[in-house]
Amino acid sequence: MKLLETAGLTKNFGGLVAVDEVNFAVEKGELKGIIGPNGAGKTTFFNLITGSLKPTRGKVSLNGEDISGLPPHLISRKGISRTFQITNIFPEMTVYESVWAGVNSRAKQPWNPFIHAGAATDISRKTKEICQMVGLDSKMGELSTNLSHGDQRVLEIAIALSTEPILLLLDEPTQGVSPKEIDTMISVVRKVSEVAAVVLIEHNMDIVLELSDNITVLENGRTVTEGSPSEISANREVQKIFLGIE
Amino acid sequence: MPFKDSGQGLRTASSGFREFKSRMSNKQTPFVMLAVAVVVILIGPFLPPGLRSLVIEIMILCIFAMGYDILLGFTDQCSLGQSIFFGTGAYGVVLAISYLNANLWLALIIAVIASIVLAFLTGLIAVRLSEAYFVIITAIFFSIFYLLSLSMSWLTGGDDGISITVPSLSLGFTELSLYNPLVNYYFAFFFLIISYLILTRVVGSPLGKVFISIRENSERTKFLGYNVFRYKLIAFILAGLFAGLSGALYAIRLRYGSADFFSFDWSVLPIVWVLIGGTGTLIGPCIGVVIMSLFQYYVSAWWAQYLIIVGVLIIVILRVSPKGIVGYIRSRKGKVKEKG
Ligand SMILES: Nc1ncnc2c1ncn2[C@@H]1O[C@H](COP(=O)(O)OP(=O)(O)OP(=O)(O)O)[C@@H](O)[C@H]1O
Ligand SMILES: [Mg+2]
Repeated sequence: MKLLETAGLTKNFGGLVAVDEVNFAVEKGELKGIIGPNGAGKTTFFNLITGSLKPTRGKVSLNGEDISGLPPHLISRKGISRTFQITNIFPEMTVYESVWAGVNSRAKQPWNPFIHAGAATDISRKTKEICQMVGLDSKMGELSTNLSHGDQRVLEIAIALSTEPILLLLDEPTQGVSPKEIDTMISVVRKVSEVAAVVLIEHNMDIVLELSDNITVLENGRTVTEGSPSEISANREVQKIFLGIE
Repeated sequence: MPFKDSGQGLRTASSGFREFKSRMSNKQTPFVMLAVAVVVILIGPFLPPGLRSLVIEIMILCIFAMGYDILLGFTDQCSLGQSIFFGTGAYGVVLAISYLNANLWLALIIAVIASIVLAFLTGLIAVRLSEAYFVIITAIFFSIFYLLSLSMSWLTGGDDGISITVPSLSLGFTELSLYNPLVNYYFAFFFLIISYLILTRVVGSPLGKVFISIRENSERTKFLGYNVFRYKLIAFILAGLFAGLSGALYAIRLRYGSADFFSFDWSVLPIVWVLIGGTGTLIGPCIGVVIMSLFQYYVSAWWAQYLIIVGVLIIVILRVSPKGIVGYIRSRKGKVKEKG
């Protein structure tokens, strides 16, 4: 059984078919890349999987269970987590607090009004572990809004990781990240892929080719092709789309 | 369990780092609060009657204000309908005493439960809606309840209201009369302290942290697996509960309830208190109450249009510090620390 599977997944915006009959699958332990030109429907595809948008047609299943159309918080509870293309963090919360919020969501009583938030040592331990894993441990006390853009992109991943997902969807983690910080980001993605299956949307071809086990190419909402990095880089059609080679 | 325990590195990471950034307070706050409490206790008997009555009013309204801060300051829900719960609390007490002959404690419990139930029911509808619609629906609820309280005068007494004889306060070992202003004073103080302790507890708990996440980014909070609607509803009910308690105490103090408890003043005032004092601070809204009540008491006496000054004052305060007075003090302190 596949970890994640979409069957005929489709989303129409009025006349525009943003995602068109996409069949897509992720195996346990896999790091899967998605590439495609601007407006190809990559982000919309993530929105359909995570419940931000309801599919027009088609099905999403996780470990064989149909999860299509569930609201975001329930999909999160099933074990799918995501990051956002446009940084979507908690500006006036510290790094620690942001990650803590995700870890706490898996506590037995995340709404407990009677204990002090700092009293649950297993939650604070896990929070620190995640900060450490992504290399933000020295900045745990800083407000998210004061971080560099690169660190905010890393925090974006740390927050997604905080719910202990089995599947992590990363929407262009390197967007706007300076060349200096890109290596950090690559190593973070690598580390993360050790604890969860990952789907990575990425514009930078070198990075996708380097990181992915398998790559899907989307254009105009449709799957153009799918294959290993070497197959994809050798594919004529892909070269046409990305490099303008005829 | 994907996260391995690696105790070693953690120690270095956490050196010089406070787990939760304290927005509420700093280390001195408990002492300042204790000092304020002691002063309030000690000066009770020595206050001139007029001022004492004003302090009682302030203490009762602080309960209302702190509860509203949970809603506006912690979950970013700007309700225009809080007078519903203030009025419900007031009538809960008044009707329980005049029709059911309830004792004071029972009347208070009835008032609070009625407010909770009503907050739950109205919240179920309102909290679902996003910002602007939330404001509008709560304003509509306000109008409905205000008009009902005026028209159902057989029950509410309408504008004239219903007067009650306040039963004596039974403490088990003794009975105290609330007609004694000093008893009234400590009675209000007792509920203020209880409310403050409960709300600081809530704010520091996991529930409070989830509230803050919702205020900072409610969309993202959903993706962490929180049912944001449910948490916002909890905040709405908490605010309703304390508005109801405040209304009940206010009615006891005035010994009557009228449709005026449902009026728009009591929906707008909480917003004003919280905004000028500082959202998300609990103490700020109390400072807001003090300022507004002093204004009402001293300025309204010689100039009926004192609300104009209040309006200007609000604009000035929010211009200087969008986070209100307490926010301003905190940011000054932060700067001093950075320099020194
Ligand atoms: N909520 C929406 N309403 C209407 N149209 C939308 C909506 N979201 C996306 N679209 C349209 O759907 C198409 C696919 O958008 P999407 O954001 O999924 O592309 P993308 O592959 O993520 O592009 P990029 O690489 O620029 O991020 C675009 O034409 C976009 O304008
Ligand atoms: Mg996109």
